[in-house]
Formats: sequence, C-alpha cells, structure tokens
Amino acid sequence: MRLLACWVALVLLSVGTIMSGAAGWWWAVVLAAVAKAWVIADGFMELRHAPLGWRAALLAWPVVLVAGIVVMR
Amino acid sequence: MFTSVDRRLPGDLAMWFFILAELSVFAILILAFAVTQTLRPEVFAEGRAQLDTSTGLAMTLSLLTAGLLAALAQQQALADRSRRAAGLLVLGLLVALVYVWIKLSEYGHLAAAGLGLEHSTFFTLYWILTGFHFLHVLLGMVILAWLALRCWRGAYGPGRQSGMESGVLYWHMVDLVWVVLFPLVYVL
Repeated sequence: MRLLACWVALVLLSVGTIMSGAAGWWWAVVLAAVAKAWVIADGFMELRHAPLGWRAALLAWPVVLVAGIVVMR
Repeated sequence: MFTSVDRRLPGDLAMWFFILAELSVFAILILAFAVTQTLRPEVFAEGRAQLDTSTGLAMTLSLLTAGLLAALAQQQALADRSRRAAGLLVLGLLVALVYVWIKLSEYGHLAAAGLGLEHSTFFTLYWILTGFHFLHVLLGMVILAWLALRCWRGAYGPGRQSGMESGVLYWHMVDLVWVVLFPLVYVL
C-alpha cells in the first residue's frame, strides 16, 4: 500500500512537472524534481529506516543539483 | 516508554558505494548541462524545442512503474513468495521495454533529422547525458532479468535477500537520476 502511494505521488508529480513547465513555472518544476527524488529515496529505496548519514547523502543529492541549476538560471 | 528503532541499510554496503560513485558522475554531467545552458540559452531553447515532453513523460512513467514492480517483487521475496516475485520482475522488465522502445524511437527520429552529436552544444550534451543513462537502464534490465531467474529458482527469501535488495537498489538509482535529468533536458 505504501509503495503504491509512492508510485501515485511520483506519477502526479511527473504530470505536474509537464504542466508547470508549460505554464513557465520553473520553480515548481525544480521543486517537483526534488520531491520525486525524495519519494524514490525514502519510499522505494527504503532509506527512511537507514543510518542517518546514508539517508542524508541520498536526500542531499537532488537538493545540491537543483540548487546548482537554480543558481545558474 | 520509548523504543529504539534499528536503522538498517538495505542491500550490500558495496552497492551503496557504487551508487554514490554513479550519482557523482551523473551530478557532474547534469551540472555541465546546466552550466552550458546558462552560457548558450538560445541554442538550448532551440534544441529543446525539437524534443517532445509527452514522450519524456511516457518514459518517466515507464521507469517509475518498473521501479514500483521491482519494489513489490522485493516485498514478495521477503514474504517467501519467490514465484510471485519472479512474475513481478518479468512484468517490470516488460514495462521497462516501453522506455527502451520510446527512447530508441526518439534517437532514430533525431538522427534522421540530422540532430546528431555534432549538431549543436545542446545535442552534444543531450546524447552524452541521455545515452549514458540509457546504458544504465539496459544494465538495470539485465540485473532485473537475473533477479527474476534467481527468484524463480527460489534463491531469495526471508533472511537471504541482500543480493536481491542490491539489484533492485540499482534500478531505483536509475530512476533517481532520471527524475532530475528529465526536467532539466526536456522541460526547463
């Protein structure tokens, strides 16, 4: 049930990405990218029960990338 | 009364170091794409106009659905239902094939239109970034097929599924990269 909920969230965020992009809301696109990456890391990869260092490393990866993308815009 | 929660890293530690290395390489490529886009915005806008976002969405849904099926297979293996786990992995493979088919169609369409590696800076980085990811998807599919075979033979079950967890983690890593790569290349 939890995995299915993660998948539904990912589908909705992916559709939202396209709609936000069409509307020119770039900030929503990058926020959705981080949200999707976190759902995959915590939900599918089960990092929510992992040692904090590993969880932090994986959750930080999309944040650092998106921050870089935003700074360069 | 508080109870302590045992924190556990799924899969093998070696797989996690491998995933970190892969994510670092992809991070460099993704940031290179973003930096170059800042330097040549008009070239990137022109190149991106040649890509179809609905195609990108279909590929996203294919990868994420395969990831869901792989995660469900892992649950079934943990519950000692190996045959059902094998079936879910085969289904995941079929769904992943949709991504491969769409991606190859996109590559064929772009190549036929003369939008190859040397057409512009955008397409140089597009082919390198998406091509590198595509190779990872293919390797992920080989791993899923191997896991399906092993599941069918009953190799995984309660207390002996570290190998399966590691294989499925690889697929999730491929998904993780795509959800950042897709908006950058197709949407932004």
